[in-house]
Amino acid sequence: MDNLVAARATMAFSLGFHIIFAAIGMTMPLFMSAAHWRYLKTKDAAYLELTKMWMKGVAILFAVGAVSGTVLSFELGLLWPGFMQHAGPIIGMPFSWEGTAFFIEAIAIGLFLYGWNRMNPWVHWATGLMVGVSGFISGIFVVAANSWMNTPAGFDWVEGAARNIDPVAAMFNRAWLHESLHMQLAALQAVGLAVAGIHAWLYLRGRAPDLNLKALRIAMVFGAAASLAQPFAGHFAGEKVAEFQPAKLAAMEGHFVTSRRAPLTIGGLPDVETRTMKWGVEIPGLLSLLAHRDLNAEVIGLDQIPRENWPPVLIVHVAFQVMVCIGTLLAAVGALWFWFRRNNHLPRWFLWAVVGCAPLGFVAMEAGWVVTEVGRQPWIIYDILRTKDAVTPVPGMVYHFSLLLVLYLSLAAVTVWLLQRQIRAVQTKFGG
Amino acid sequence: MIDILIGFIAASLLLYVLLGGSDFGAGIVELLPAGRLREAQKEIINRAMGPVWEANHMWLILIVVILFMGFPIIFTTLMTALHLPMLALLVGIVVRGTAFTFRHYDAVQEARTQSIYTWLFGLSSLWSACWLGIIAASLNRGIMDPSSREVWSAWIAPWWGLYPLSVGVFVVCIYAFLASIYLVGETDDPALKRRFLRLAAWFNGLVIVAGGLVFLASANEQESLAKAFLRNPLNRGVVATATLLFVALWFFVAKRRTMLTRVVASGQVVLILIGWYVLYAPNAVIMATGPLSFYEVAAPPATLRQLVIALLVGSLFIFPSLFYLFRIFKLSRRPAEDQPRSDL
Repeated sequence: MDNLVAARATMAFSLGFHIIFAAIGMTMPLFMSAAHWRYLKTKDAAYLELTKMWMKGVAILFAVGAVSGTVLSFELGLLWPGFMQHAGPIIGMPFSWEGTAFFIEAIAIGLFLYGWNRMNPWVHWATGLMVGVSGFISGIFVVAANSWMNTPAGFDWVEGAARNIDPVAAMFNRAWLHESLHMQLAALQAVGLAVAGIHAWLYLRGRAPDLNLKALRIAMVFGAAASLAQPFAGHFAGEKVAEFQPAKLAAMEGHFVTSRRAPLTIGGLPDVETRTMKWGVEIPGLLSLLAHRDLNAEVIGLDQIPRENWPPVLIVHVAFQVMVCIGTLLAAVGALWFWFRRNNHLPRWFLWAVVGCAPLGFVAMEAGWVVTEVGRQPWIIYDILRTKDAVTPVPGMVYHFSLLLVLYLSLAAVTVWLLQRQIRAVQTKFGG
Repeated sequence: MIDILIGFIAASLLLYVLLGGSDFGAGIVELLPAGRLREAQKEIINRAMGPVWEANHMWLILIVVILFMGFPIIFTTLMTALHLPMLALLVGIVVRGTAFTFRHYDAVQEARTQSIYTWLFGLSSLWSACWLGIIAASLNRGIMDPSSREVWSAWIAPWWGLYPLSVGVFVVCIYAFLASIYLVGETDDPALKRRFLRLAAWFNGLVIVAGGLVFLASANEQESLAKAFLRNPLNRGVVATATLLFVALWFFVAKRRTMLTRVVASGQVVLILIGWYVLYAPNAVIMATGPLSFYEVAAPPATLRQLVIALLVGSLFIFPSLFYLFRIFKLSRRPAEDQPRSDL
């Protein structure tokens, strides 16, 4: 494996791994706090049980998120010294705020996990909420740093070095809002549906039905609401990509030839050799409409982009299709949820559908990150610095990659095994 | 501005060594045979570390962030030349954090899995502590050569040798010593207290031996530590005071003044770090091509200003919450019998 490819694989894998636990770490405490709040209000023991159950899950998953996040902060330098050397002073600011927020999160989780009976119950509740809130804020900061790589701002690039650095302008670059919004919703959506799916499954199998129904309801409020909002946030992000990163949009859509009244291609596989789309369903004019709010607007195709600056079209397009397809499905599930809740009737087939959707939010989230990150290639700082020029000179990155692969895969396996033991223990306790 | 940042790095490093270090030390202590006290010791360590280890770990992240934002050249130089030790450290950090948490939160508490977690936690604590020492020792050896692309001289020589290894061993001993001293105050069980005191005494001795080894091993370095220390009167004072404090330490131990023993032990570590800093300041790193001074490689002023603002504003949030965390779990320890289980 080429050193650059190995370094990219390492980064992709470390990020792809961390993002799952980061998403859980920032959203699950919110569910937990909701359950805890209901317990403090109603004194219904089932909510206390639910709070403690989710708390244990949070404790396990948070630890994995925290250590894999530590790895990432080092990996930035271990893998991309050529990037950090320029980027550190420019985008260090969101990282320093992220560090602060995460510090608060780490303190709050210590207080919440071990603070039962030691504090005023409402103060204790607030520490649990703080875990989620500061997690959420730190997530926004990290995504702001990533968005800068896509729409660099706050510096002048003079002879291969950054001058006139303005960290504030860099942080509030043109992509920070839509990327953060899209990601934070994705986290709520993915974790909400995954948690709901697990509890729906236990409910359907008749395990502690009261507890699981309560859990399902809390998780679905977050998951369903985020799923309904996500298509709008996604569309907003798409418009911005069309404006700021036309090459990425062209790759997402497999749009090879610049045209007016550009069609939206659903499905299909782009063939880079012949520069055509195969087997896609085309809806005339829709891409122009979606990207530029005008049926006749011109959408820049890959033909306007020098060949060496193309992102890997096939990967980006397929990942984008996967994300949009899942997003649409989940929006429908979200809408149905509110419909059934209003009518106070949850049909079993719908709960089975929720079970089926459990992993999909995470799949969509990973696919979305593939779109953003692979779609940015070959640049590490868009239009400024190429990824290959930023990679570490240290040889043998393939070993680094393999080591991390083995470590993380084992960690993932143990985590899943632990959660399954956790769930089983609670269900046994409650009978059924 | 740069001075404030150096202050933050120094303070974070100090707190990381004192607080994070004692967490590492707890893992090392658990590796030693404990006989019938094993379970009780595990419980005490769970209770002592559980609420605070994630916060204690944050000091390391803070150092990394300050370095890559404020002193990017130092950050990238270290991450390149010391790639392998950093990677080794990371593996250790991942394993110990998760093993510790998994041990406590595993829904099924079986002897066999529990002992696997304990071993993983202990070994990875030992491993990470040792690599931290190796990294610290490698900063100032004058071997890192940023222009070299030859496997040995570029990626291995900077951290290879008896001297970095001896510093690694020294750090392991210090961490275990700190943990033993801190743990004495965490338990009311007389047998456990005796055990931790005995361990503290042992590690006290080992710290002195390992410290001697560091000086001996440094004889092969470009400048031996002994010479460097003797050159500087402040450092002679630091070494003498740190050694003399052992007398004060054991006096307070005999008087059963838990808090004072903790303060004195921490003070010794502070002195060691001061001695280390004085030796090289204001150079963060000394490479084959010369030193990298904080003052010379700092990021542009606009960046430093934002970093300082973030750190100062962040401190307004972090220090009060941290104080609250420690007050709840460390200062107002209730008698053991009415302590609720952490998970109710």
